[in-house]
Amino acid sequence: MCAAKRGTERPSATEPGAETTAPAPGAGAPALNLPRQRQDTADGPPALNLLVVGDDPTGVFTAPWFQDGGGPRIRVLRAGNLTAAGRLLTDDVHCILLDLPDVLDGVRHVLRVAPGTAVLVLTDGTDDGGAAAAEAVRVGAQDHLARAEVDAATVTRAVRYAVERKRADLALRKLTETRLLAQENRRLERGLLPTPLLEGADLRFAAHYRPGRSRALLGGDFYDAVRTSDGVVHAMIGDVCGHGPDAAALGVELRIAWRALTFAGLGGDTLLRTMQQVLVHERADDEIFATLCTIDIAPDGRDAGLYLAGHPAPLLAGPGRVPRLLPPEDGGPALGLLPDALSVWQRVPVDLDGEWRLMLYTDGLIEGRVGAGTQRLEQDGMVRLVSRLLAAGLHGDALLDAAVTEVRELNGGELTDDVAVVLLERTGLQP
Amino acid sequence: MDLSLSTRTVGDRTIVEVGGEIDVYTAPKLREQLVELVNDGSYHLVVDMEGVDFLDSTGLGVLVGGLKRVRAHEGSLRLVCNQERILKIFRITGLTKVFPIHTSVDEAVAATD
Repeated sequence: MCAAKRGTERPSATEPGAETTAPAPGAGAPALNLPRQRQDTADGPPALNLLVVGDDPTGVFTAPWFQDGGGPRIRVLRAGNLTAAGRLLTDDVHCILLDLPDVLDGVRHVLRVAPGTAVLVLTDGTDDGGAAAAEAVRVGAQDHLARAEVDAATVTRAVRYAVERKRADLALRKLTETRLLAQENRRLERGLLPTPLLEGADLRFAAHYRPGRSRALLGGDFYDAVRTSDGVVHAMIGDVCGHGPDAAALGVELRIAWRALTFAGLGGDTLLRTMQQVLVHERADDEIFATLCTIDIAPDGRDAGLYLAGHPAPLLAGPGRVPRLLPPEDGGPALGLLPDALSVWQRVPVDLDGEWRLMLYTDGLIEGRVGAGTQRLEQDGMVRLVSRLLAAGLHGDALLDAAVTEVRELNGGELTDDVAVVLLERTGLQP
Repeated sequence: MDLSLSTRTVGDRTIVEVGGEIDVYTAPKLREQLVELVNDGSYHLVVDMEGVDFLDSTGLGVLVGGLKRVRAHEGSLRLVCNQERILKIFRITGLTKVFPIHTSVDEAVAATD
């Protein structure tokens, strides 16, 4: 939510159109310079500042303050019109009372320039005035009161009530916005994390996604896996740099582009080149790039082709083999970094052979802290951690859950970044 | 953890010494610094990363954005880094092909390619 922006300019004693009944501390000094939540006088109760906007033809607001009982008293500031009121509208003004011919316009104006300040409207007691007052409350004023009823008790009660009600309204609005943001994030997450389309494939798929520390910083991690009609299984994981709804939305677009291009028969360098075009056209600013790891597994599950675009290499494990990272650093650049002519992505052949487990992940899994210092888990630490869990017999969802949980624990709490992990397994084959 | 930034000029080069962790929370500070330098007419930047403990993808994005800004003025952005774990991030993402990376500030200042 945006903080209310308001002019902080203080009126001078000679400001035309602006007058105030607050006592001037000295000649030439600003006529109004109240700190927020100011104690009115050394021994008086705290005051609420009421800014009365209008001509006040009957002079009911000439008194410098209203007081009734022991609660906060109401200090009165006056402005002849909305322009003059703008100069007096500081954070110290708790409530505005509009006494204007076109009160609806006035309410809309005040809500725009001072969205955090309570608003009252003054009516003249006629039917038309009453209708206008009701309408003013509908568009955002807290209450209305009739000119004939203005006295210390009514004004004090109306201002206190309006200020409290405004606080409640703002709190409710903030809550609603937070809820909407959470819903928005959930929608984006669903777009980032699809159901894989692997029917007929002779392998198992598991995935785990965990948003980072701040829900408001939803990241752009995404993954997908599909099997094309030729029996090839295509799996992918990626990460849009940066956080927030823009990064997440771009992640959704890239995932859908990948799926569409894969079903259309594109792969490898051509696919990455097209993805790069999509990214360059869709990104919000030049800083944004995306890393991607994509792998195509042959129908017999015995070999695969790996493409890395600026992405950390996957982990290959399996019965009887030491878990290891696939070729570590000879991938191509992340998408969106280099001009097309300089972007080259090479297919890295991977000999899977027999039974295997292949784990794709985003950098959230390797960037967590280890202890209180500056040390991070990094790829080597992650490989050791996952090797230990594999040796303990974990696989599938349980393996991913345990790995992410342990990385979080090492980090000493929720990770800053999102984490996505995808596991493809081909084990337990019938001889 | 925070990010420290200090700048100095050597000839027509501006050295930006970065210390601490560049992540999603601190990267905006580095971005502001680079934008400010370019707005003030410093188009040949040397970012000294020797004091950087951590760099994530948001930080990489800020460096890429900085490079695009100086290039718009025919300028340059060179990095100074000898730390293997930071260099590895540049290699994995392909940024070694984007940024000239030097082993010392002197070398970066002298470079003219």
